[in-house]
Amino acid sequence: MTVKSILKGLPVTQASDVVDGQLDLQADVVIVGSGAGGAVTAYELARQGLSVLVLEAGPYVPSSEFTEDFTEALEALYEDHGGQTNKAGDLLLLQGRCVGGSTVVNGCVSFRTPDFILEDWQRDFGLDNLTPETLAPYFERVERHLSIDDNGEHEIAMHSRLVRDGAKALGWSVKPFKRNIRDCALTGHCLSGCKTERKQSMLVTYLPWAAAHGARIYSDTRVTRVLEEGGRARGVHAEVIAHDGSKVADMRVQADMVILAAGAVQTPLLLLKSGLANRSGEVGRNFACHPSMYVSARYPQPVYPWRGALLGTYVDEFMRPEKGGFILEAGGLGAAEMCLITEPGTGKPYLEYMQDIKYYSGIVTLIHDHNVGQISWQDGERKVIDYDVADSDFPSMVAALRAAARVHFAAGASEVFMPTTAPLKATSEDELESVLAQLENAPHTLRLVSYHPQGSCRMGADPASSVVAPHGETHDVAGLYVADASLLPTSIIVNPQVTVYALATYIADQILDRREQYFRLKSA
Amino acid sequence: MSKNDSSPAFMAGLEPLSRRSLLRTTALAGVAFTTGCARVFGRKDAPEQLEFVHLTEDEVRVITHLTVVLLPTERHGLPSSTETIPTVQNLDDMVGQMSPQTRELLGLGLWVFERRPMVSFKFSRFSKLDREEATRYVHAMQEGSFFERGLTATLKALVTLNYWRDSRTWPALDYWGPVTQKWGVRRLGNAPLPPV
Repeated sequence: MTVKSILKGLPVTQASDVVDGQLDLQADVVIVGSGAGGAVTAYELARQGLSVLVLEAGPYVPSSEFTEDFTEALEALYEDHGGQTNKAGDLLLLQGRCVGGSTVVNGCVSFRTPDFILEDWQRDFGLDNLTPETLAPYFERVERHLSIDDNGEHEIAMHSRLVRDGAKALGWSVKPFKRNIRDCALTGHCLSGCKTERKQSMLVTYLPWAAAHGARIYSDTRVTRVLEEGGRARGVHAEVIAHDGSKVADMRVQADMVILAAGAVQTPLLLLKSGLANRSGEVGRNFACHPSMYVSARYPQPVYPWRGALLGTYVDEFMRPEKGGFILEAGGLGAAEMCLITEPGTGKPYLEYMQDIKYYSGIVTLIHDHNVGQISWQDGERKVIDYDVADSDFPSMVAALRAAARVHFAAGASEVFMPTTAPLKATSEDELESVLAQLENAPHTLRLVSYHPQGSCRMGADPASSVVAPHGETHDVAGLYVADASLLPTSIIVNPQVTVYALATYIADQILDRREQYFRLKSA
Repeated sequence: MSKNDSSPAFMAGLEPLSRRSLLRTTALAGVAFTTGCARVFGRKDAPEQLEFVHLTEDEVRVITHLTVVLLPTERHGLPSSTETIPTVQNLDDMVGQMSPQTRELLGLGLWVFERRPMVSFKFSRFSKLDREEATRYVHAMQEGSFFERGLTATLKALVTLNYWRDSRTWPALDYWGPVTQKWGVRRLGNAPLPPV
């Protein structure tokens, strides 16, 4: 096969391209999802000569159509049009739902899995294969492919410099982010997709590379069931859905292998719908999501939180669980987001806040939450994300808020807003403890957002307590693999995209090591 | 893969309504939010030229009063939230795109919000409260039960977002909005294939 780089765009079969009501396709490997896990496995397997088919439920939106308007991006690029919430409705779960998945709309933050997390996985889940040494070449490979590097000084915008200044004044460890980006244009619109292909998302890297090696990509294609026969995965059923919601075609794919990479919400839902791989009863359980808060503060000088690279620096002083188990990320936002993120009051105080919005800056908190959530179906029709912040995690949330507020004050902020549904702010560090004491772990009290769903099909050596074996294959069904964040046995504190890229590369290698047992017509 | 209800992010606070069995519990299984709120925002029509197609008269009254209370723009030198920026009309358009289940929840939420004022507000309807009383009522709801907090947060978000989404409000904030085309930033295209 001739391999030719695809310079712009992506060859995707969309609902509007489909004319037959029934599609019957064949492939060596069918991959469900085109985000971090799906795109990487697609490329790594296609370049070894396997016939690969990628099915993405979301639309194909080329970079040129990104609008740099966050509310429009929510509608076009995010799961449930940006409306995916937990069961209580007080935690927003933002996931990409488009070709390229969440990698299209994330903030480019790139962390390796912390070593102490990998040690936990070895000790508690028998993942002796996932040592820092084993994974190092996989991290290096994806970092090289995705231009991952430390932010340069020009990529540390005012909001991130303030966080750095505050942390340094407190004597806390603070670092520039590594990001997967080439020559950042500093527009600040990462969460709406990068219009000029500088963010090295799957949309402009692994997917076009996979396509160059012959992988076929279908968008608007919702997989409804994994097909199994005699304990072996044999393909999938899917539906092609037009953008007006009408069904265009049924699809049946015959394949020797199925890889689920639809994310930590959709992958367990598909397994549950298919009635597969759940001998342990663990499918959908152990869900975690790094519930995060945006702590905004007013500064004497203009900050313009939308200007410059969205994410510049982070405080890792408290990353290890014994020090608190959280990190603080300096984060910018646009005007539409800022109008929602803080509760300064009603009427006059609200308008004064918005008129002064250029004086505000924010810090995002991420905690090492416990895996207390569950993904399930209600009445077989409606997905349910049953996750509330555990009482055992609430002290970490408060500790993260306290640290974020202290950083703001140390950097010169005059007031810090708590991310609450009712107005609550501290105007000095002296006031902070009495303000924090007013917080309680109750529904609709804190403004919570999750960008990192994970852990609903955990990987482990013991089939009784995990869904997926250490090499990525489900314990129960041969040829059925999982390659997304649902694998993660615990939350990892940091942004998970690089962990997923590396694990997906590792799993692709494991598949290739076993290729003769799956692919009848292919030899190594 | 799921047939989940598809409501915008800021509608999350309505979720407890369904959990409270104020609606039939299956109501949220859903029809896709197929044509989004995105394309209905930012319209330039003057409010007096507009008609409300999707909101009922009662709902328009509640939302308009809430808009006046939340966004008293005329006192701040901002584009008027009722006469220049068609905040309520934008919300009406958004409602037209909602799934039936979300629409039903919003209707119920507005009905409850309108009739929630109790003893301390002399059992008045929200839309009949003067500005000061209405503001006090919003504060009371924000400090109330989890259901009241969620409902109020959602309605505030709906109103404020439908105002600030309009690019005519941005100059007052010094917000730069979309910049790539304005700056003429060059596209890089796809990353080159990695070397074998």
